[in-house]
Amino acid sequence: MRKGLGLLVLLAGLAWAQTSLKVGVILPLSGASAVAGKAALNGIQLAAEEANAGGKVRLELVVVDDGTDPSKAVPAFTKLMTVDKVDIVIGGLASGVTFALSGPVKQYGPLFLVIGAASSVVEQAFEGYPLFFHYHPWDYHNVAAALQFFQYLNREQGAKKVAILYEDGPFGSAGIGVYKQQLEKLGYQVQAEPYKTGSGQFTPILTRFRAFQPDILYWIGYDVDALPIAAQTRQVGLRPKLIYGAPPSWPIGFEKNPLSQDVAGMTAWLPTLSNLESRRFVEAYRKKYGEVTEEYMAPMGYVIVKSLALAAERAGSPDKNRIAEALAGLRLNTPFGPLSFKPSDTGKTRYQGFGPEIWFQFQYIQGTRRPVFPKEKASVPLRYPGEYYLR
Amino acid sequence: MELLLQTFLNGVLMAGVYALVATGLALSLGVVGIVNFAHGEFLMLGAYLSYLLFAFCGVDPLLSLGLAFLAAFLVGGLTYRGLIRPVLRAPELNQMLLTFGLSVFLQNLALLLFGADTRVVAPPYQAATLALGPFFLGAVPLGAFLLSLALLLALHAFLTRAPLGLAMRAVAQNRLASGLLGIEAEGVYLLTFGLSAALAGVAGVMLSVMLYASPTVGFLFTLKSFAIVALAGLGNLKGVLPAALVLALAEALVSTYVPGGGGLVEAVFFLVLFLALVGRAWRGA
Amino acid sequence: MRGVFAFLLLFALLPFLPLGVWRAFLLDVGLFVLLFTALALSWDLVARTGQLSLAHGAFFGLGAYGTGLLLPHVGTLPALALGALLAGLGALLLGSVTLRLHGLYFAIASLAFSEVLRTLALKLPFTGGPIGLPVPPPFGGGLPLAGYYLAFAVLALAVALSLWAEKSPFRLAQAACRQSEAVARVLGVRVVRVKLLSLFLGSLVAGLSGGVYAMKALFLSPYEAFSLARAVEALVIPIFGGLYTTLGPLLGGVVLVGLEQALRLWIQEGYLVVYGALLVLAILFLPKGLLGLLGGRRG
Repeated sequence: MRKGLGLLVLLAGLAWAQTSLKVGVILPLSGASAVAGKAALNGIQLAAEEANAGGKVRLELVVVDDGTDPSKAVPAFTKLMTVDKVDIVIGGLASGVTFALSGPVKQYGPLFLVIGAASSVVEQAFEGYPLFFHYHPWDYHNVAAALQFFQYLNREQGAKKVAILYEDGPFGSAGIGVYKQQLEKLGYQVQAEPYKTGSGQFTPILTRFRAFQPDILYWIGYDVDALPIAAQTRQVGLRPKLIYGAPPSWPIGFEKNPLSQDVAGMTAWLPTLSNLESRRFVEAYRKKYGEVTEEYMAPMGYVIVKSLALAAERAGSPDKNRIAEALAGLRLNTPFGPLSFKPSDTGKTRYQGFGPEIWFQFQYIQGTRRPVFPKEKASVPLRYPGEYYLR
Repeated sequence: MELLLQTFLNGVLMAGVYALVATGLALSLGVVGIVNFAHGEFLMLGAYLSYLLFAFCGVDPLLSLGLAFLAAFLVGGLTYRGLIRPVLRAPELNQMLLTFGLSVFLQNLALLLFGADTRVVAPPYQAATLALGPFFLGAVPLGAFLLSLALLLALHAFLTRAPLGLAMRAVAQNRLASGLLGIEAEGVYLLTFGLSAALAGVAGVMLSVMLYASPTVGFLFTLKSFAIVALAGLGNLKGVLPAALVLALAEALVSTYVPGGGGLVEAVFFLVLFLALVGRAWRGA
Repeated sequence: MRGVFAFLLLFALLPFLPLGVWRAFLLDVGLFVLLFTALALSWDLVARTGQLSLAHGAFFGLGAYGTGLLLPHVGTLPALALGALLAGLGALLLGSVTLRLHGLYFAIASLAFSEVLRTLALKLPFTGGPIGLPVPPPFGGGLPLAGYYLAFAVLALAVALSLWAEKSPFRLAQAACRQSEAVARVLGVRVVRVKLLSLFLGSLVAGLSGGVYAMKALFLSPYEAFSLARAVEALVIPIFGGLYTTLGPLLGGVVLVGLEQALRLWIQEGYLVVYGALLVLAILFLPKGLLGLLGGRRG
């Protein structure tokens, strides 16, 4: 009996030395954004395991599914707050759902670490909320990064005309006006056409583009559109010098398809990146899950938990305000490059993690994706014009 | 003029696959009398079969066509036996909820097994193109169109010549009378439902080459198929191809000639349908 | 009848029950249960005339957008009313041209209607287009239970309409339309008028439900507000619970919406597989819906 008591005291002492945290995780594990949501969860769980093995903090994750649907996300979030009583929440992947959470977040006041939600509409919704940490770049950062590449193509490669295919949902259409305007400012002639994602019918639009003879065929849509666009561009006899895409993820097996050769795109991370943190992450990921992920949301989730664990360790307390304070002053090397929090460009939110600098351009080259722009990140030179032009 | 003809060609090619999927739906609706919301899931089955065979055994999707036909036929037959037959006499709405439940079940089963990721195959002829003078025809869409046409013709021949096919039409026209004639409706239903699924399975293989395989690949096509079947007149098999042509051509024309038309394709598709149905209503159908 | 009132009473008192830590969660779930049940009941109201509507997603969306757009200018309640009226206008438009269509033809026409409206919401200049439309909470956000009781009011209205339709001669007119229009005409039922009125009333409730949804979700996008999934949910619930009754959709709504939330929390991955299987099993073994279990009569 006395022995048992002693053991209890000892255990309690140990637990005291550790900072113990209960962390809510709300991600789309079903519905439209499930692929990204599951990748993020894998990264989050990996980092939590590593943090717990380190022994200085103890993270207990409470995971709920937001279903990529506000009517499911709001009750799930409320459960995290009132039943599980967490003070810290990681989540907010899809913009629409994150917007819906802005009400309950302000009501319950947790430390909210946001993994995605790039739409600047979300930024307005959280304006003035003191504990809002947004890791992912905003949509205007994405535009800036892509425009840098287009400027290079214009100045160095002599590209003059861009044909844009954009899906007519929020993902494709949100920035389209700005894109068009900015590209014209760079000296491009622009033709833009909306389409319905997943329909696979690009032949009519591409046929129309043929008369325009674009140097660059730029599509803003989803993974389902990648192959149909690559195939139908050839089938209608359109010969752009570069096919450039910006989907959140790419189809499985696309790299093995010869039609992917020289297709370019933008991402924040690739498993082949050579920086130390990225290599460490890939190795740990492979050890835990037995495979390598291509989704940048996996390292994004990983980075969030890593930074949280570090901040909790420095704060030495599970108090959300003290952790937020520590997080605000944190500097951390990540698979994406260095992370630190600054006020956002619009000044609406105070803690913005990554900016345009994490984006880079890659090309599918002989079955793998290789960084090609900007120069400091490129592992091979850009192939311009691509194989689809030279045929 | 050249653009117009090319647009026409684009529309006609697309109509083939539409018609194939819609014919399967029309069969189960016309003969068995079942509104099958899970029709698209048979298509998904074909698409995944093609993907799996290609990714793991290197089988060309052309060879998967026959296999998908058989596999989908089998699954369709089993579905009929296990789920459809018990509700044949139930109210229409119950049948619909059953097939809807089946659709949710199969879609999410695929999600569980394969994830939500989009998967693609890579046969060597995927982007092959025939250039006829100024016109361009994708080899795969052309092949899919011809195969669809051939299957539809074969089906037509079967329904008008073969005894079993005649029995199917008899059952479609009048359940009671065909029973009196000694046609066994049970076997005919089973065959029809299997055939309906098999057509979707074949279409699924084609779409795996033209588009992709994913848990939701069937959904969009189911929606359009319902539209086509309604335009053709429920259960009217002969009307399916013309209806598919009308809708596919409308789509192609709008997305070629209307600026920003790509985003209006769906709306035009359904607007044409809506007007056609309203027209039917006022003619007193 | 007693069952129906027990339901309403339960929901009216839910915020005051000793639910412990689960209170806030249950109130949130309850709000969506109320809204989707009201939507389902409004679908059933139309189904009683034999019309299978797939446009309830569109009425929901019209109500949601109408409310969302007007809320900042006219205040909560007027915005809700006007949003519902917008849905009602949509129903009158749809109904006046399509109500001569039967069964599946009407279903497809209403589906087409809803797809066209979705595209309009995407393309019109004042809806926020594909980016979406932020919506403020009801009454400036000051009253924590406002959303819940608005949702309750919508369901209460739906129940009242449904009970009226069930108890009055209107029920006979509806049933006659459903069973045989020709016979109905002979009996002196004004078929088109009965159908149009049912569709109009149903769309008002659906629009209100959309409006309250908008104020809870705080954000609308065309793909979500006009989603076909919403229309399908509206028909799944009554069939699952028991068609052409008031109690059936109530039961179905509580069980299905609640079940989905519960399955998602406790099974997580692949919960929809279980959900789909349950629907199939329900039809195979409970052909009269949940009401069949209770031995309820069908109207």
